[in-house]
Amino acid sequence: MVENFAILPCNGLDKCAGVISHELAIKLSKQADNRIICPVFYRVSETKYNKLAAEKPLLVIDGCQTRCASKLAAEKNLKVARRIIVADEAKIQQIELTDSLRITDREVAFIGSLFDAMNKTDEVLSVPSPETGTTYNFEYETFQSGKFIFRIPKNNEIFFNENDCWAWVSGNRARIGVTDYVQQNLSDILYFYPPEVGDEIDQFGELGSIESSKAVFELVSPFSGKVISVNDKLEKNPELINENPYELGWVAELELTDPEGDRELLIGFERYFEITKKKGEETDVK
Amino acid sequence: MSETTFMGVERSLIDWKPTIDYSKCDYCMECVRFCPHKVFEVREDEEIKLIIKNPHNCVVFCRACSKTCGPDALSFPDKNMTTQRIKEIRKEMEGHG
Repeated sequence: MVENFAILPCNGLDKCAGVISHELAIKLSKQADNRIICPVFYRVSETKYNKLAAEKPLLVIDGCQTRCASKLAAEKNLKVARRIIVADEAKIQQIELTDSLRITDREVAFIGSLFDAMNKTDEVLSVPSPETGTTYNFEYETFQSGKFIFRIPKNNEIFFNENDCWAWVSGNRARIGVTDYVQQNLSDILYFYPPEVGDEIDQFGELGSIESSKAVFELVSPFSGKVISVNDKLEKNPELINENPYELGWVAELELTDPEGDRELLIGFERYFEITKKKGEETDVK
Repeated sequence: MSETTFMGVERSLIDWKPTIDYSKCDYCMECVRFCPHKVFEVREDEEIKLIIKNPHNCVVFCRACSKTCGPDALSFPDKNMTTQRIKEIRKEMEGHG
């Protein structure tokens, strides 16, 4: 999904490609937290849009190869997170851009296809996984308690709840699992009871459970959403959670219902590290 | 429970603890053996042999003890209601912040 972007469109009103850029920007701006940067106003007043561009990743929509919007972004020293050139997309789709500045059904369909394609690109979860050939680049901070070493991933996109579950957020999706604290406490995990794909989970609702000879642990979901995938490998190999609960030992993926709202009740690496270290020192992990 | 706050809220303000249905409880004491947080207390010499001694030690949103309970005698508050209450308290705290 394209969401939470600052959108800088070409907005050229004297060319069909510009009009399409403008319309596409409007369509995207109706989605989630996307906000439009007006290139005309940006030229005369920077303050408002510099703030917006600093807060959100930037999506640039260029109409033609003159790439006015990209040039404006470069002038303002903005980092472009994503770019689309309408003229190039038209070529790919074999759509001839006319001289008309009026949007007809044909252009509406083209804008719709651009919109869908942009949202679809992100539907392939950009969370890395061995299945997709991408790798994890987690940097772990560790601490030791007795003979146990606890790892906690240091990543701005990973959120924790105080029930020792993590969520790695990518767009409107998140991959969820338990932390090292849970797997060390449970020791050898013997069973995995997955949630059902399609289940709607409330924030802090149960997202399956895992069991060792010591205890059952019910996963407390950090986010609300719909279960779109579970880690089937855990049914045969629940020990993957013991090996690394953040990577091959992930539990489920959710399509998020209210990521912004839910995030208010979650914590980041620093706070979770602090809490877990304290718990590790006070609790006797046997 | 080592933390005295949960999600930034004083633990004592959050109503989350197991409730024992004494009409079902058979005093097997599985929950007592299971819970590492000393939420329960056994009172061998009394008629009611099991009580919730330390409700605020109970980990908010944890219901694991109820899964060990054969006669299904343990229940917990509604998670959504508890989440809502935590949000309200946080808002009140911001207001006084």
